[in-house]
Amino acid sequence: MIVGVPRALLYHQYGGSWTAFLDSLGVETLLTQATSGETVLAGTERADNETCLPMKVFAGHLIQLKDSCDAVLVPRVVSQYHRTKSCPKYLGLPDVARALEPDLPPVLDPRMDLADRRARWTSDWNALALEWGASRGGAALAVHRMKEALREIEPLPSRPVEGGLRVGIAGHLYNMFDSRASLGLLDKVRDTGAGVLTIEQVSRHQVRRQLRTLQRKIYWDFEGRIVGGVLHWNRTACVDGIIYVSSFACGPGSMIGALLEDQLGREDSVPFMNITLDEHSAEGGLITRVEAFMDMLKRVGVERPRTRGGGGVAR
Amino acid sequence: MKLAVPRVGSIGYMAQDVCARLGLGYVQTPEYTERTVMRGVAISPELFCFPMKVLLGSSIDALEAGADTLVTVAGFGACRFNYFGELQRRILEREGYEFEIVVFDSPRDAPADFLRNLKAVLKASDGGIISVVRSMKLSLRKGRAFDEVNRRAIALRGIETEEGATDEAVADSLEMLSGAWSAREIDEAREAIGDRFGAVPVDPGRPHLRVGVTGELMMAIEPYFNLDIERWLAKRGAVLERSLYMSDIFTPMGRNPVSGMDDAEIERMALPYLCHEVGGHGQINVAAALEYARRGFDAVVHFFPFTCLPEVIARTLFVRAAEDMDIPILSLSIDEQTGRAGLQTRLEALVDLAWARKNAA
Repeated sequence: MIVGVPRALLYHQYGGSWTAFLDSLGVETLLTQATSGETVLAGTERADNETCLPMKVFAGHLIQLKDSCDAVLVPRVVSQYHRTKSCPKYLGLPDVARALEPDLPPVLDPRMDLADRRARWTSDWNALALEWGASRGGAALAVHRMKEALREIEPLPSRPVEGGLRVGIAGHLYNMFDSRASLGLLDKVRDTGAGVLTIEQVSRHQVRRQLRTLQRKIYWDFEGRIVGGVLHWNRTACVDGIIYVSSFACGPGSMIGALLEDQLGREDSVPFMNITLDEHSAEGGLITRVEAFMDMLKRVGVERPRTRGGGGVAR
Repeated sequence: MKLAVPRVGSIGYMAQDVCARLGLGYVQTPEYTERTVMRGVAISPELFCFPMKVLLGSSIDALEAGADTLVTVAGFGACRFNYFGELQRRILEREGYEFEIVVFDSPRDAPADFLRNLKAVLKASDGGIISVVRSMKLSLRKGRAFDEVNRRAIALRGIETEEGATDEAVADSLEMLSGAWSAREIDEAREAIGDRFGAVPVDPGRPHLRVGVTGELMMAIEPYFNLDIERWLAKRGAVLERSLYMSDIFTPMGRNPVSGMDDAEIERMALPYLCHEVGGHGQINVAAALEYARRGFDAVVHFFPFTCLPEVIARTLFVRAAEDMDIPILSLSIDEQTGRAGLQTRLEALVDLAWARKNAA
């Protein structure tokens, strides 16, 4: 039995827990290769043309698994955190996977509903393990290992920030971890000599504190973290500039992009740049924009030394 | 307080009724025009979905027409619309408009917020909380009767034997309904409306198409955006059913009395293509389209705004379902760039295809 796992979308966030589950059961796992130009091209041809880039990347990974495994694991991530909801794309992902490629091996869609404190969703995974012939103990152990792995989701490897400019880059893990989708943005900024901060380095606590200053709660978990993280960076003056990376046609992303622009505009904000990615994004264009942004940060640093305090915040 | 609500389906009708009951000022949001759309687009971020851009433009129209309080709904949904109210406030404030905004959350998901908003309405109205809730229930009842008129009309217009007979019945029905105040009067009016529609001369034996209309609320319901699809298709000999009615959405517990599919049924009908709700009205539309296919409809039309999250999922599933179930499903993505002629050409092709298939069978 070989179970295929597309290296796309929430794999970049929960992949560790999925493989922990599969490994614990001794199931052979086939993980697709890192995204390449061909993956994006194949996915773009297959997926609906109005979906976001990560969905197209997902489609590209999915069709690679067509003939090489006995089942494909596409968990249905219903929520990611207490009192939040997932983007509709995650809610319907297994159904979309089945519709995209009729010759696909069976799609396994156990639920992940992390908002549920009693973790009733783990029964789906338990049932899956039993179906594969695991003993009851074995199944329980696999689920346990998965939950353990969920607890420690590794942050991006961050280099120590020395001197120079510090840039906060806020974006979804499936774009940040995928150097093809994000066209190597993180490295491009690092290559200019700047230190890079990412969203996972902002603690839940700090995010919650910032989100409480907004009038309306954000119901998408990761988007909430992005907003909270960006506000934290800006309000504690720990970065010189902020780059927000989203995908074209990303619904939640379009909302919080507008929210961030408005909110940062009401505060005394460091420079903020919004980069929208899609399958047509070209490396040259990205380099130009990053260079222009970095040049601007240098000039702002000369003209306006950092003296911002906490201050009152309009909202 | 003069409040205005978004102009989508029967919301305005219900809001006007409830305001009359509670002694609140009400301003009808002006009809959509090209100017509405253009002004909305001008102040919206590029990647907002089309209904949001339109609603922004429409809010400006309403404020200029004299409204001072915008009432809108949000809900604990996955669709991006749940954050729209807040951004609407921010954007209109930035543009220099002065207004209050009340964003109603669904009472089931966020009871505390719902009550807080209700209190804001209470303060301005004559009655206490009980009378407010009672008035809302009555207005909803009336809204359902209003939507039923619409449901009956689209089912008859395609086979009427005298042109305009259905429209006359609609006008008479709304006249009957407008005077109804108490629950009993509304129910009596509904019965009278049933009789009135029974008197519309139709010829069920005439060859006609059966077409299902699904899609995102605003695009599927509002004639301005969908080429007035109800009349357009009726002229070409089609009787219609629609998946969404505004009063269904406001009816608690997912009963959907107007469309006649409750939430449990919807969940079952959407199988095996969609096994989970996907925010917005994605699941309802998938369920309805599949049900139309199972009932032997000749075609399904699906309207949605460009990049709409739930409906793009629905379209992906429709591609497969249309093939499996052998029914033409036309998904039309609409935004400010949509041209009427392009829309019309594609709809004509769909109607031709449906007729050809029907005549061949």
